Amino acid sequence: MRFSGLKVLAEGLTGNKGWGAHWRDAQPKPEYDMVIIGGGGHGLSTAYYLAKNHGMTNIAVLEKGYLGGGNVGRNTTIVRANYFLQGNSEFYSHSLKLWEGLEEDLNYNVMHSQRGLINLFHSDGQRDAFARRGNMMINQGDDAVLLDREGVRKHLPYLDFDQVRFPIYGGLLHPRGGTARHDAVAWGYARGASDRGVDLVQNCEVTGIDIEGGVVKGVQTSRGPIRAKKVAIIVAGRSGQVAAMAGRRLPIESHVLQAFVTEGVKPVIDHVISFGMGHFYISQSDKGGLVFGGDLDFYASYAQRGNLPMKEHVMEAGMTLMPMIGKAKVLRSWGGIMDMTPDGSPIIDKMEGIDGLYIDCGWNYGGFKAVPASGWCMAHLMATDQHHEVAAKYRLDRFRTGVGIMDEEGTGSQHNLH
Amino acid sequence: MAELSAKTPCAGLLPVSAGGVTLSEVDAGVLTSLSPRRGRAEALGKALDASVGAKLPEVNRATGEAGSRVIWFGQGQYLLMGPDPAAALGAEAAVTDQSDAWAVVRLDGVAAEDVLARLVPLDLRAQSFAVGHTARSMLGHMSVSITRTDPDTFQIMAFRSMAKTLVHEIETAMKGVAARGAG
Amino acid sequence: MRITCPVCGERDRREFYYVGDAVALQRPDPDASDVVWDDYVHNRDNPAGVTRDLWYHEGGCGAWIVVTRNTITHEVLGTELASDVKEASA
Ligand SMILES: Cc1cc2nc3c(=O)[nH]c(=O)nc-3n(C[C@H](O)[C@H](O)[C@H](O)COP(=O)(O)OP(=O)(O)OC[C@H]3O[C@@H](n4cnc5c(N)ncnc54)[C@H](O)[C@@H]3O)c2cc1C
Ligand SMILES: [Zn+2]
Repeated sequence: MRFSGLKVLAEGLTGNKGWGAHWRDAQPKPEYDMVIIGGGGHGLSTAYYLAKNHGMTNIAVLEKGYLGGGNVGRNTTIVRANYFLQGNSEFYSHSLKLWEGLEEDLNYNVMHSQRGLINLFHSDGQRDAFARRGNMMINQGDDAVLLDREGVRKHLPYLDFDQVRFPIYGGLLHPRGGTARHDAVAWGYARGASDRGVDLVQNCEVTGIDIEGGVVKGVQTSRGPIRAKKVAIIVAGRSGQVAAMAGRRLPIESHVLQAFVTEGVKPVIDHVISFGMGHFYISQSDKGGLVFGGDLDFYASYAQRGNLPMKEHVMEAGMTLMPMIGKAKVLRSWGGIMDMTPDGSPIIDKMEGIDGLYIDCGWNYGGFKAVPASGWCMAHLMATDQHHEVAAKYRLDRFRTGVGIMDEEGTGSQHNLH
Repeated sequence: MAELSAKTPCAGLLPVSAGGVTLSEVDAGVLTSLSPRRGRAEALGKALDASVGAKLPEVNRATGEAGSRVIWFGQGQYLLMGPDPAAALGAEAAVTDQSDAWAVVRLDGVAAEDVLARLVPLDLRAQSFAVGHTARSMLGHMSVSITRTDPDTFQIMAFRSMAKTLVHEIETAMKGVAARGAG
Repeated sequence: MRITCPVCGERDRREFYYVGDAVALQRPDPDASDVVWDDYVHNRDNPAGVTRDLWYHEGGCGAWIVVTRNTITHEVLGTELASDVKEASA
């Protein structure tokens, strides 16, 4: 089925009865060339690009729950390429380019909206840091505009510019930054992969990884054993558990990050606003809800829900920045499991010492925007056994060697600092 | 030479009143932190009693009265308020002068509990926090020491650099409670 | 989440600062290999279930505490002073 304006019209006139399922709900086969553990954004995009870019289709994506039930359907949907360090900047730049062609490529409306992202700053020192970041973004071929206070006011007149603690000095505008409809991204990739022959197997939890003589042979699942020549671990917050099935410990701690959405209100916020000093960021969804979040709860957790102090903190920060949202009612809050690395940057690598085992993890709280490039580069690695050039620095051994640590925040390569 | 005039931490900010509750500054006098050396807490208690006539409190408790208090001040730490510490204490504890380092205020009034309930994550009602009880906790985002000194009076201490925030937070809560009461 | 400080008693989570896996109490020998140090500094069991981590009663008495807790339910199962744990293992 191809989506098109004509199809929407035709379906609209005939009672919308002709929309079929977007992908096949496949049953697991006993053997595949490749098995991908995890049907989140990254697992699905990896399967899609393996099929599309490398012609590999004898692949299964094994998902313990339902497709899109993990972080890919729980995030606050910000898509940006405003990284500073070499290693990250070329990767996210590549990802943003893929986003820009994604709807056409997938023939799927992921509601990618480049409404512009503004990072606020509140001191001269911070302005200098953002000017540098902006220059790095431009050097990378992306876009950045340094706004002074009046420049920010033009875009965001409703902010409280003179709050005592964090008066607004200006902001870094990233015009191509924005948002996308998170679960549509999962569905679009799922459909694209399924159409090309990939089996998407839901309710199929991987419970063991079979390794013989240092070579991967397949996986054990809640729906029986499945043999495979190559296995990829792409399970976000669950990376530690699944790697343990292969006898490995990872430089990952799983933490909870919360997000919030209000009742729908008329269009009022037409950017993504990031208030780093207050740990608060916000955008408005197409349905009208104000979608906002803050920092991690800051303790290891798999609960997919957080505690009240962080809720209070996020609301306080929001009220500090834009008192106008005080009357909006919060409808829902939720949490997701974040795979936090010591330096805050991800891992796309082979599992050293186990032939045929690959890992893609450590996306911290920023892996939604990475979905296209992560799949692209992970597919490249699995198909060719070579690192893709834009993901060449995402090595697992960088923590041991100390070479290529990518600590964007400059807080130190240590757990619990990002 | 410049003439420097000493100012208290909350000079110009206090007192303030709202809804029958008053926030005022306490002249704390000499403040001395006492950290008993390993295994010497009992000996410190004796030395303290002998030298300044004050009793070392249990955890979460304070002893003495205005002008001469000892407040439990954290793990293995006590704060002597008022009297000059005797040199003899140095044998039993690490003794540190903290005078002028703290903003010390008192909150008086029947509704003082209600005011603090808005700011402090502790049950400060009389049945669980009686006269002579003390706690290290938080007031808003600040680390504080809170002691109930009289049935309707709390003494609150925060770092001196936080004095303005301390007053601002408490005053805002006082006004909020007062407005509720009036309605 | 409420945590019982062995010194102060049961307190609100916001008074505590999370420091991470209690593995920090088992510091390797300074001359241990880079593999051992890498494992100590970076790698984690990261259990989904019962874990032991270090918290600091920052907004309270200043004690370092080993908290035994369930990462799935957020239930706090027990607390001990880190100094007691360290002494017991010495
Ligand atoms: C509240 C919140 C806000 C966020 N905001 C943003 C944002 O604005 N921008 C941004 O870029 N990123 C954001 N992120 C981060 C982003 O969502 C994640 O980094 C990214 O989604 C993780 O990759 P994924 O989609 O593959 O993960 P997931 O969707 O979690 O996929 C992993 C899948 O693996 C499955 N799985 C686990 N174990 C097994 C097993 N044993 N067998 C089979 N399957 C298994 C899980 O069920 C899950 O479906 C946010 C995250 C959260 C929680
Ligand atoms: Zn304590």
